[in-house]
Amino acid sequence: MTVQSGKKPSATATKTNRRKMTQPRNNKGAGLSQAQLLEMYHLLLKCRLVDERARVLFRQGKFKGNHYSAVGQEAVTVGTLYGCQPSDWVGPSHRDMVAALVKGVPVKLIMAQLYACVDSPDRGKSTPAHFGSPEHNIITPASTIAAQWQLVTGVALGLKMQKREGICFAYAGDGATSTGAWHEAVNFAGVHKLGIIYVIQNNLWAESVPLRLQTAAKNLADKAVGYGMPGVVVDGMDLLAVHKAAQEAVRRARAGQGPTLIECKTYRWYGHSEIDPARYRSQEEVAAWKKRDPIPLFEKQLAELGISAGSVKKQFEDEINREIEEAVAAAEASPYPDPAEAWDHIYAE
Amino acid sequence: MPVMTYVQAVGRGLWEEMERDPAVLMIGEDIGVYGGAFKVTDGFLAHFGRERVIDTPISESAIVGAAVGMSYLGLRPVCELQFIDFIACCFNQITNFVAKSHYRWGAPVPMVIRGPAGGGVHGGPFHSQNPEMYFVHTPGLKVVCPSSAYDAKGLIKAAVRDNNPVLFFEHKFLYRRVKEEVPEDDYIVPLGQAAVRREGRDLTLVTYAAMVQVCLDAAEQLEKEDGLACEVIDLRTLLPLDKETILSSLRKTNKLLVVHEDTRTGGIAGEIAAMVMEEAFDQLDGPLMRVTSLDTPVPYSPPLEEYFLPNAAKVVKAARDLARY
Repeated sequence: MTVQSGKKPSATATKTNRRKMTQPRNNKGAGLSQAQLLEMYHLLLKCRLVDERARVLFRQGKFKGNHYSAVGQEAVTVGTLYGCQPSDWVGPSHRDMVAALVKGVPVKLIMAQLYACVDSPDRGKSTPAHFGSPEHNIITPASTIAAQWQLVTGVALGLKMQKREGICFAYAGDGATSTGAWHEAVNFAGVHKLGIIYVIQNNLWAESVPLRLQTAAKNLADKAVGYGMPGVVVDGMDLLAVHKAAQEAVRRARAGQGPTLIECKTYRWYGHSEIDPARYRSQEEVAAWKKRDPIPLFEKQLAELGISAGSVKKQFEDEINREIEEAVAAAEASPYPDPAEAWDHIYAE
Repeated sequence: MPVMTYVQAVGRGLWEEMERDPAVLMIGEDIGVYGGAFKVTDGFLAHFGRERVIDTPISESAIVGAAVGMSYLGLRPVCELQFIDFIACCFNQITNFVAKSHYRWGAPVPMVIRGPAGGGVHGGPFHSQNPEMYFVHTPGLKVVCPSSAYDAKGLIKAAVRDNNPVLFFEHKFLYRRVKEEVPEDDYIVPLGQAAVRREGRDLTLVTYAAMVQVCLDAAEQLEKEDGLACEVIDLRTLLPLDKETILSSLRKTNKLLVVHEDTRTGGIAGEIAAMVMEEAFDQLDGPLMRVTSLDTPVPYSPPLEEYFLPNAAKVVKAARDLARY
């Protein structure tokens, strides 16, 4: 079963992502209070500002490796994870650094990860994109995409076995759906009716390969049929539509009714990474999607609900920028680990 | 003391660990009602229930990936691979995620990946391989290859209790051919410790798994026919390697012959040779020699497989050559 919700992306936005959204737009507030809506707005801005700051820092040569920006995709991150519990688990992809923010991780820890300094949760062992935190139940991503979908499958199986609270959120891009790991994971979770929200961030491009060379399926969510779970297509630029779809999946997961596959049609504004100028995309396509920036779109929705984003925007941005600048300053002041630490933590005690 | 086969000893060790610790569970293909392709988990489902004896889809990568996820909750999964050759299907998860988990984010992965390895049973290219060295090359893993029923039980129990991922290569040629008294006690054989199976002063044979018996047979023949006293070391664990047991034997015999069923190039013999060059070059009275399988796939046809594998005659010949130095 494939359910569709949310608003259709602009017809000019893309040819490959053109489809019919049969359900009317019905997300007035999504049952959220004004305080909650503003909290989501704050998170949306935070994801954007932290990611944009990371891009600048990388271009300034402040940290090595690479940065995989998720700017443009924030509504997917915030919409799916907002309201998750501390006992819930997240299996992010390499592009989901900001997912940690929604899970309550301070910016300081994320900057420490980028700078690979002694304050980094992994003491500089893994790359900037691989933020993980056992204490926040955030699994460290792997460059072998879709690996985290299998791990989350095991976490959900373990939670079920131990009768513990908690559900799992797993993220992957459109390209990951072509891997064997992805299919093994989803199939396994379907068999065991595990409490997982599988989120595909379909941004149309797997590095440089367009969706039409990735799959012949009309929607990636259609793949859910083969695994006996609902597949939902949602406008990934529409925060409330994403949240509404996710909340239904969360309800199912918490009620022991099994996993849901949610495909969010979205777009990354920048290249696959900061070293990718993304010349494989047309300027028109990028411009059309930028017009569907999830932040003004949400501001408009707030206005329709009688909430003025304008009155709090400056205050929110100031707060966030202050936290970012403190985090950057702390990371810059923090030394690299001793080189001989390369030997540490290969094995557990 | 009960007499057990090697395969029964593995099963007994796993059973005892499941009885001892409710966090231990089994996950794999056909391990439930069927009891596993080699019956290692026979009776486990009825006794421990479906939640702790998990029959899976044919998805080796998901089996290992799911086990990692479960280990993050404090569980201790034991993954069965029906034939260890199929470990290639989960190579990515093992080498990229399992092995690096603790290093990359401090999350230990207490899990075991076990299954039948090795040739000599005419299983052909997909059911006879010895892929242990792919993993010996991967920091973060431990690699265990028992040769006896006593060790099979003691090592699998140690593997289950270890807080690191342990790859446990059971030799299928030994499964029902090795039969010996195995204590009913709760004992473990520590990982990373080799055993001296036969003492000698003339030369040292270093080996593991099914080749231990081959080397003991060769040593017996060399003693009788040549008056050569061979020391036989059973490595038991390839990673971490018990260098000290090898080096102390070398200091006594000054001659080293490494015998393994794995193919020649990239086998543990090359690694031991390099280690000896670095740490005990002046102890050698002759070249470090090796007897191994050929650098070919494992052929199916019986005469071809026999030609491919090491045997006592090949070990005797190499030992005589080495003894002449």
